[in-house]
Amino acid sequence: MVDRPLEETELVERARRGDLRAWETIVRTHQGIAFRTAYVLTGNAADAEEAAQDGFVKAYRALGRFRRGAPMRPWLLRIVANEARNRRRSAVRRERLTLRAAAEARPGDAVPSPEAALLSRESHEQLLAAMERLSDEHRDAIACRYFLDLSEDETAAALQVRRGTVKSRLSRALDRLREELEDTL
Amino acid sequence: MTSLEIRLRALAHELDVPPERDLAPAVLTQLEGRRPFPLRRAAVLALALVAIAVGAAFAVPQARSAILRFFHIGGETIIRVETLPPAVERSEAGGFGMPLSRVKAEHTLGFRLMLPPFHGKEPDRVYVLGDSIGTVILRLHDRPVLLSEFNSPGEMGLKKLTVNQTSVQWVRVDGRDAIWIRGTHTLTYFDRQLGFREQTIRIRGNVLVWTRGGLTLRLEGSFSRAQAIALARTIS
Repeated sequence: MVDRPLEETELVERARRGDLRAWETIVRTHQGIAFRTAYVLTGNAADAEEAAQDGFVKAYRALGRFRRGAPMRPWLLRIVANEARNRRRSAVRRERLTLRAAAEARPGDAVPSPEAALLSRESHEQLLAAMERLSDEHRDAIACRYFLDLSEDETAAALQVRRGTVKSRLSRALDRLREELEDTL
Repeated sequence: MTSLEIRLRALAHELDVPPERDLAPAVLTQLEGRRPFPLRRAAVLALALVAIAVGAAFAVPQARSAILRFFHIGGETIIRVETLPPAVERSEAGGFGMPLSRVKAEHTLGFRLMLPPFHGKEPDRVYVLGDSIGTVILRLHDRPVLLSEFNSPGEMGLKKLTVNQTSVQWVRVDGRDAIWIRGTHTLTYFDRQLGFREQTIRIRGNVLVWTRGGLTLRLEGSFSRAQAIALARTIS
Protein backbone atom coordinates (compact mmCIF):
# COMPACT_ATOMS: atom_id res chain seq x y z
CA MET A 1 0.00 0.00 0.00
CA VAL A 2 1.33 3.47 -0.85
CA ASP A 3 0.96 6.19 1.78
CA ARG A 4 -0.97 9.16 0.45
CA PRO A 5 0.87 12.49 0.81
CA LEU A 6 -0.40 14.51 3.75
CA GLU A 7 -2.46 17.61 3.03
CA GLU A 8 -0.90 20.88 4.13
CA THR A 9 -3.55 21.49 6.80
CA GLU A 10 -2.73 18.07 8.26
CA LEU A 11 1.00 18.84 8.16
CA VAL A 12 0.40 22.16 9.92
CA GLU A 13 -1.61 20.45 12.65
CA ARG A 14 1.15 17.91 13.18
CA ALA A 15 3.77 20.66 13.25
CA ARG A 16 1.70 22.53 15.84
CA ARG A 17 1.92 19.44 18.03
CA GLY A 18 5.75 19.51 17.71
CA ASP A 19 6.23 17.15 14.75
CA LEU A 20 9.39 18.54 13.14
CA ARG A 21 9.21 16.04 10.27
CA ALA A 22 5.90 17.61 9.26
CA TRP A 23 7.51 21.05 9.38
CA GLU A 24 10.42 19.75 7.29
CA THR A 25 7.93 18.82 4.56
CA ILE A 26 6.42 22.31 4.69
CA VAL A 27 9.88 23.89 4.51
CA ARG A 28 10.78 21.82 1.45
CA THR A 29 7.48 22.71 -0.22
CA HIS A 30 7.91 26.47 0.17
CA GLN A 31 11.67 27.04 0.39
CA GLY A 32 12.04 27.86 -3.32
CA ILE A 33 9.58 30.76 -3.36
CA ALA A 34 10.75 31.85 0.11
CA PHE A 35 14.37 32.11 -1.05
CA ARG A 36 13.46 33.87 -4.31
CA THR A 37 11.26 36.35 -2.45
CA ALA A 38 14.07 37.15 -0.02
CA TYR A 39 16.53 37.39 -2.93
CA VAL A 40 14.57 39.93 -4.97
CA LEU A 41 14.14 42.02 -1.82
CA THR A 42 17.80 41.91 -0.70
CA GLY A 43 19.68 41.23 -3.97
CA ASN A 44 22.13 39.15 -1.94
CA ALA A 45 22.15 35.35 -1.88
CA ALA A 46 23.67 34.98 1.60
CA ASP A 47 21.18 37.40 3.16
CA ALA A 48 18.32 35.75 1.27
CA GLU A 49 19.27 32.30 2.50
CA GLU A 50 19.55 33.56 6.04
CA ALA A 51 16.24 35.44 5.83
CA ALA A 52 14.42 32.40 4.47
CA GLN A 53 15.96 30.08 7.06
CA ASP A 54 15.17 32.41 9.96
CA GLY A 55 11.70 32.95 8.55
CA PHE A 56 10.96 29.22 8.68
CA VAL A 57 12.27 29.00 12.24
CA LYS A 58 10.17 31.97 13.39
CA ALA A 59 7.11 30.69 11.57
CA TYR A 60 7.38 27.33 13.34
CA ARG A 61 7.58 29.07 16.69
CA ALA A 62 4.60 31.25 15.77
CA LEU A 63 2.40 28.38 14.58
CA GLY A 64 0.12 28.94 17.55
CA ARG A 65 -0.90 32.26 15.99
CA PHE A 66 -1.47 30.82 12.50
CA ARG A 67 -5.18 30.84 11.62
CA ARG A 68 -6.39 27.27 11.11
CA GLY A 69 -7.41 26.53 7.52
CA ALA A 70 -5.73 29.67 6.10
CA PRO A 71 -3.25 29.21 3.24
CA MET A 72 0.29 28.73 4.56
CA ARG A 73 2.20 30.33 1.66
CA PRO A 74 1.17 34.01 2.13
CA TRP A 75 1.73 33.74 5.88
CA LEU A 76 5.22 32.29 5.37
CA LEU A 77 6.07 34.86 2.71
CA ARG A 78 5.07 37.69 5.05
CA ILE A 79 7.49 36.40 7.72
CA VAL A 80 10.34 35.73 5.25
CA ALA A 81 9.86 39.09 3.49
CA ASN A 82 9.96 40.85 6.84
CA GLU A 83 13.27 39.13 7.65
CA ALA A 84 14.61 40.13 4.23
CA ARG A 85 13.61 43.78 4.66
CA ASN A 86 15.29 43.87 8.08
CA ARG A 87 18.51 42.69 6.48
CA ARG A 88 18.17 45.20 3.66
CA ARG A 89 17.74 48.00 6.20
CA SER A 90 20.92 46.99 8.00
CA ALA A 91 22.95 46.69 4.76
CA VAL A 92 25.01 49.69 3.70
CA ARG A 93 23.23 49.69 0.37
CA ARG A 94 20.78 47.39 -1.36
CA GLU A 95 22.40 45.17 -3.94
CA ARG A 96 20.98 45.35 -7.44
CA LEU A 97 19.52 42.45 -9.35
CA THR A 98 21.46 41.43 -12.44
CA LEU A 99 20.78 39.47 -15.61
CA ARG A 100 22.09 36.00 -16.20
CA ALA A 101 25.22 35.78 -18.32
CA ALA A 102 24.29 35.91 -22.00
CA ALA A 103 25.61 32.41 -22.67
CA GLU A 104 23.44 30.77 -20.01
CA ALA A 105 20.53 29.50 -22.05
CA ARG A 106 17.94 27.53 -20.14
CA PRO A 107 17.18 23.96 -21.22
CA GLY A 108 14.48 23.99 -23.88
CA ASP A 109 15.11 27.62 -24.90
CA ALA A 110 14.84 28.34 -28.60
CA VAL A 111 18.12 29.76 -29.89
CA PRO A 112 17.57 33.37 -31.07
CA SER A 113 19.63 35.01 -33.81
CA PRO A 114 22.64 36.98 -32.48
CA GLU A 115 20.95 40.30 -33.42
CA ALA A 116 17.69 39.35 -31.71
CA ALA A 117 19.59 38.18 -28.64
CA LEU A 118 21.51 41.47 -28.45
CA LEU A 119 18.35 43.58 -28.81
CA SER A 120 16.56 41.49 -26.26
CA ARG A 121 19.41 41.77 -23.76
CA GLU A 122 19.63 45.54 -24.19
CA SER A 123 15.91 45.80 -23.67
CA HIS A 124 16.08 43.69 -20.51
CA GLU A 125 18.99 45.74 -19.17
CA GLN A 126 17.13 49.02 -19.75
CA LEU A 127 14.04 47.72 -18.04
CA LEU A 128 15.96 46.31 -15.08
CA ALA A 129 17.92 49.56 -14.67
CA ALA A 130 14.67 51.56 -14.74
CA MET A 131 13.15 49.26 -12.16
CA GLU A 132 16.13 49.61 -9.86
CA ARG A 133 15.68 53.40 -9.98
CA LEU A 134 12.18 53.11 -8.52
CA SER A 135 11.56 53.74 -4.83
CA ASP A 136 11.85 50.62 -2.67
CA GLU A 137 8.09 50.29 -2.20
CA HIS A 138 7.38 50.52 -5.94
CA ARG A 139 10.27 48.24 -6.84
CA ASP A 140 9.20 45.62 -4.29
CA ALA A 141 5.63 45.63 -5.59
CA ILE A 142 6.83 45.07 -9.17
CA ALA A 143 9.30 42.38 -8.07
CA CYS A 144 6.69 40.42 -6.10
CA ARG A 145 3.99 40.66 -8.74
CA TYR A 146 5.94 40.20 -11.97
CA PHE A 147 9.27 38.59 -11.03
CA LEU A 148 7.90 36.16 -8.44
CA ASP A 149 4.45 35.87 -9.98
CA LEU A 150 2.79 36.27 -6.58
CA SER A 151 -0.94 36.93 -6.51
CA GLU A 152 -2.12 40.34 -5.30
CA ASP A 153 -3.06 38.80 -1.96
CA GLU A 154 0.37 37.17 -1.61
CA THR A 155 2.07 40.42 -2.63
CA ALA A 156 0.03 42.25 0.00
CA ALA A 157 1.06 39.68 2.62
CA ALA A 158 4.73 39.83 1.66
CA LEU A 159 4.79 43.63 1.71
CA GLN A 160 2.54 43.85 4.79
CA VAL A 161 0.14 46.27 3.12
CA ARG A 162 -3.51 46.05 2.05
CA ARG A 163 -4.49 44.68 -1.33
CA GLY A 164 -5.65 48.14 -2.43
CA THR A 165 -2.23 49.54 -1.60
CA VAL A 166 -0.61 46.87 -3.78
CA LYS A 167 -2.84 47.89 -6.68
CA SER A 168 -2.07 51.59 -6.31
CA ARG A 169 1.68 50.98 -5.89
CA LEU A 170 1.73 48.77 -8.98
CA SER A 171 -0.20 51.32 -10.99
CA ARG A 172 2.15 54.15 -10.02
CA ALA A 173 5.24 51.98 -10.52
CA LEU A 174 4.11 50.95 -14.01
CA ASP A 175 3.39 54.60 -14.90
CA ARG A 176 6.83 55.58 -13.73
CA LEU A 177 8.46 52.79 -15.76
CA ARG A 178 6.52 53.86 -18.85
CA GLU A 179 7.77 57.43 -18.42
CA GLU A 180 11.33 56.23 -18.09
CA LEU A 181 11.09 53.90 -21.08
CA GLU A 182 8.81 55.90 -23.38
CA ASP A 183 11.28 55.71 -26.26
CA THR A 184 11.56 51.96 -26.11
CA LEU A 185 7.98 50.85 -25.50
CA MET B 1 -1.85 42.56 -19.90
CA THR B 2 0.06 45.54 -21.30
CA SER B 3 3.28 45.27 -23.27
CA LEU B 4 5.21 46.59 -20.29
CA GLU B 5 3.78 43.87 -18.05
CA ILE B 6 4.69 41.24 -20.65
CA ARG B 7 8.24 42.63 -20.74
CA LEU B 8 8.46 42.48 -16.94
CA ARG B 9 7.37 38.85 -16.90
CA ALA B 10 9.91 38.04 -19.62
CA LEU B 11 12.60 39.84 -17.65
CA ALA B 12 11.88 37.60 -14.66
CA HIS B 13 13.21 34.62 -16.65
CA GLU B 14 16.46 36.43 -17.39
CA LEU B 15 17.35 37.42 -13.83
CA ASP B 16 20.46 35.93 -12.32
CA VAL B 17 18.87 34.24 -9.30
CA PRO B 18 21.24 31.81 -7.56
CA PRO B 19 19.95 28.28 -7.06
CA GLU B 20 18.43 27.81 -3.63
CA ARG B 21 19.97 25.43 -1.13
CA ASP B 22 17.94 22.91 0.82
CA LEU B 23 17.15 24.91 3.96
CA ALA B 24 15.41 22.11 5.85
CA PRO B 25 18.52 20.67 7.63
CA ALA B 26 19.57 24.10 8.96
CA VAL B 27 16.00 24.95 10.01
CA LEU B 28 15.64 21.66 11.87
CA THR B 29 19.03 22.10 13.56
CA GLN B 30 17.91 25.45 14.93
CA LEU B 31 14.58 24.09 16.07
CA GLU B 32 16.01 20.93 17.57
CA GLY B 33 18.34 23.10 19.65
CA ARG B 34 15.26 24.03 21.69
CA ARG B 35 14.29 20.47 22.51
CA PRO B 36 14.79 19.29 26.08
CA PHE B 37 18.21 17.75 26.67
CA PRO B 38 18.48 14.08 27.61
CA LEU B 39 18.32 13.78 31.41
CA ARG B 40 21.99 12.95 32.01
CA ARG B 41 23.27 15.77 29.81
CA ALA B 42 20.81 18.15 31.43
CA ALA B 43 22.15 17.29 34.89
CA VAL B 44 25.75 17.94 33.84
CA LEU B 45 24.74 21.16 32.13
CA ALA B 46 22.78 22.32 35.17
CA LEU B 47 25.87 21.88 37.36
CA ALA B 48 27.98 23.76 34.85
CA LEU B 49 25.46 26.59 34.68
CA VAL B 50 25.33 26.92 38.45
CA ALA B 51 29.11 27.27 38.48
CA ILE B 52 29.04 29.83 35.70
CA ALA B 53 26.20 31.76 37.30
CA VAL B 54 28.11 32.06 40.57
CA GLY B 55 31.24 33.08 38.67
CA ALA B 56 29.35 35.61 36.61
CA ALA B 57 27.71 37.18 39.62
CA PHE B 58 31.09 37.78 41.24
CA ALA B 59 32.85 38.68 38.04
CA VAL B 60 30.69 41.48 36.70
CA PRO B 61 28.92 43.22 39.56
CA GLN B 62 27.49 45.90 37.28
CA ALA B 63 25.42 43.30 35.42
CA ARG B 64 22.67 43.41 37.99
CA SER B 65 19.75 42.90 35.67
CA ALA B 66 17.98 39.57 35.60
CA ILE B 67 19.76 36.74 33.79
CA LEU B 68 17.35 35.39 31.20
CA ARG B 69 19.23 32.61 29.41
CA PHE B 70 22.66 30.97 29.04
CA PHE B 71 24.50 29.60 26.04
CA HIS B 72 27.90 27.99 26.40
CA ILE B 73 30.39 26.82 23.81
CA GLY B 74 34.09 26.05 24.23
CA GLY B 75 35.55 28.80 26.37
CA GLU B 76 32.78 31.27 25.70
CA THR B 77 29.59 31.81 27.63
CA ILE B 78 26.78 33.97 26.34
CA ILE B 79 24.32 35.27 28.90
CA ARG B 80 21.11 37.00 27.94
CA VAL B 81 20.23 39.77 30.38
CA GLU B 82 17.55 42.45 30.55
CA THR B 83 19.95 45.38 30.20
CA LEU B 84 23.58 45.58 29.17
CA PRO B 85 26.13 46.87 31.68
CA PRO B 86 28.06 50.08 30.91
CA ALA B 87 30.60 49.36 28.17
CA VAL B 88 33.28 51.19 26.23
CA GLU B 89 34.28 51.02 22.58
CA ARG B 90 37.13 48.64 21.83
CA SER B 91 39.54 51.47 20.97
CA GLU B 92 38.97 53.01 24.43
CA ALA B 93 39.67 49.64 26.04
CA GLY B 94 43.16 49.43 24.53
CA GLY B 95 42.38 47.75 21.20
CA PHE B 96 43.17 44.12 20.53
CA GLY B 97 46.27 43.80 22.69
CA MET B 98 50.00 43.70 22.05
CA PRO B 99 51.04 43.34 18.37
CA LEU B 100 53.53 40.49 18.00
CA SER B 101 54.98 38.38 15.20
CA ARG B 102 53.18 35.09 14.67
CA VAL B 103 56.07 33.12 16.19
CA LYS B 104 56.19 35.27 19.34
CA ALA B 105 52.40 35.31 19.62
CA GLU B 106 52.17 31.51 19.45
CA HIS B 107 54.93 31.21 22.06
CA THR B 108 53.07 33.61 24.40
CA LEU B 109 49.70 32.00 23.85
CA GLY B 110 51.00 28.45 24.08
CA PHE B 111 49.20 27.12 21.01
CA ARG B 112 49.46 27.15 17.23
CA LEU B 113 47.07 29.62 15.60
CA MET B 114 44.51 28.27 13.15
CA LEU B 115 44.22 30.42 10.03
CA PRO B 116 42.50 30.33 6.65
CA PRO B 117 44.63 29.74 3.54
CA PHE B 118 46.13 33.02 2.29
CA HIS B 119 46.59 33.57 -1.43
CA GLY B 120 48.94 36.48 -0.84
CA LYS B 121 50.98 37.52 2.16
CA GLU B 122 49.95 36.27 5.60
CA PRO B 123 49.07 38.93 8.20
CA ASP B 124 52.40 40.06 9.68
CA ARG B 125 51.10 40.64 13.20
CA VAL B 126 49.01 38.87 15.77
CA TYR B 127 47.50 40.86 18.63
CA VAL B 128 47.75 39.15 21.99
CA LEU B 129 45.50 40.17 24.87
CA GLY B 130 46.28 39.14 28.44
CA ASP B 131 48.48 36.21 27.31
CA SER B 132 45.22 34.43 26.52
CA ILE B 133 43.58 35.62 23.31
CA GLY B 134 45.22 35.90 19.91
CA THR B 135 43.55 38.06 17.25
CA VAL B 136 44.33 38.33 13.54
CA ILE B 137 42.72 40.84 11.18
CA LEU B 138 41.49 39.15 7.98
CA ARG B 139 39.80 40.69 4.93
CA LEU B 140 36.50 39.41 3.56
CA HIS B 141 35.21 41.21 0.45
CA ASP B 142 37.49 44.14 1.33
CA ARG B 143 36.04 44.46 4.80
CA PRO B 144 37.96 43.69 8.00
CA VAL B 145 37.06 40.55 9.92
CA LEU B 146 38.57 39.69 13.30
CA LEU B 147 39.59 36.11 13.99
CA SER B 148 40.23 35.52 17.70
CA GLU B 149 41.39 32.27 19.26
CA PHE B 150 41.99 31.08 22.77
CA ASN B 151 42.73 27.87 24.55
CA SER B 152 40.34 27.19 27.37
CA PRO B 153 40.34 23.64 28.65
CA GLY B 154 37.28 23.70 30.88
CA GLU B 155 37.55 27.31 31.97
CA MET B 156 35.54 30.28 30.88
CA GLY B 157 37.63 32.53 28.69
CA LEU B 158 35.15 35.03 27.31
CA LYS B 159 31.81 36.12 28.56
CA LYS B 160 29.31 37.93 26.40
CA LEU B 161 26.21 39.65 27.59
CA THR B 162 23.34 40.12 25.18
CA VAL B 163 19.88 41.61 25.39
CA ASN B 164 16.70 40.40 23.77
CA GLN B 165 17.20 42.56 20.69
CA THR B 166 20.34 40.54 19.93
CA SER B 167 19.81 37.29 18.07
CA VAL B 168 21.69 34.26 19.48
CA GLN B 169 21.33 31.02 17.55
CA TRP B 170 22.83 27.56 17.47
CA VAL B 171 24.23 26.79 14.01
CA ARG B 172 26.62 24.15 12.61
CA VAL B 173 30.18 24.49 11.33
CA ASP B 174 31.49 21.32 9.71
CA GLY B 175 28.83 19.28 11.50
CA ARG B 176 29.62 20.67 14.97
CA ASP B 177 27.71 23.10 17.16
CA ALA B 178 28.51 26.78 16.82
CA ILE B 179 26.83 29.97 17.99
CA TRP B 180 25.85 32.88 15.78
CA ILE B 181 25.29 36.25 17.46
CA ARG B 182 23.75 39.04 15.44
CA GLY B 183 23.56 42.52 16.94
CA THR B 184 25.17 44.63 19.62
CA HIS B 185 26.43 42.91 22.73
CA THR B 186 29.19 43.35 25.27
CA LEU B 187 32.24 41.22 25.91
CA THR B 188 34.26 40.63 29.06
CA TYR B 189 37.40 38.54 28.85
CA PHE B 190 39.26 36.37 31.29
CA ASP B 191 42.94 37.02 31.78
CA ARG B 192 44.93 34.02 33.06
CA GLN B 193 46.90 36.28 35.40
CA LEU B 194 44.40 38.93 36.38
CA GLY B 195 41.07 37.08 36.31
CA PHE B 196 38.04 38.81 34.87
CA ARG B 197 38.68 42.28 33.55
CA GLU B 198 36.03 44.62 34.80
CA GLN B 199 36.13 46.71 31.67
CA THR B 200 33.45 45.58 29.26
CA ILE B 201 33.73 46.20 25.53
CA ARG B 202 30.81 46.96 23.25
CA ILE B 203 30.73 44.74 20.13
CA ARG B 204 28.74 46.10 17.19
CA GLY B 205 29.41 43.47 14.51
CA ASN B 206 28.08 39.94 14.13
CA VAL B 207 29.98 37.06 15.72
CA LEU B 208 30.38 33.34 15.02
CA VAL B 209 31.85 31.17 17.79
CA TRP B 210 32.90 27.56 17.31
CA THR B 211 35.47 25.10 18.62
CA ARG B 212 38.16 23.13 16.87
CA GLY B 213 41.02 21.05 18.20
CA GLY B 214 40.75 22.32 21.79
CA LEU B 215 40.59 25.96 20.76
CA THR B 216 37.63 28.30 20.87
CA LEU B 217 37.51 30.44 17.73
CA ARG B 218 35.42 33.52 17.03
CA LEU B 219 34.93 35.57 13.90
CA GLU B 220 33.64 39.11 14.25
CA GLY B 221 32.65 41.42 11.41
CA SER B 222 29.84 42.87 9.36
CA PHE B 223 29.11 39.66 7.49
CA SER B 224 26.10 37.44 7.07
CA ARG B 225 25.78 34.12 8.87
CA ALA B 226 26.37 32.17 5.63
CA GLN B 227 29.53 34.18 4.90
CA ALA B 228 30.84 33.64 8.43
CA ILE B 229 30.20 29.89 8.32
CA ALA B 230 31.83 29.61 4.88
CA LEU B 231 34.93 31.43 6.18
CA ALA B 232 35.01 29.35 9.38
CA ARG B 233 35.10 26.15 7.32
CA THR B 234 38.38 27.24 5.72
CA ILE B 235 40.16 27.86 9.04
CA SER B 236 42.34 25.00 10.23
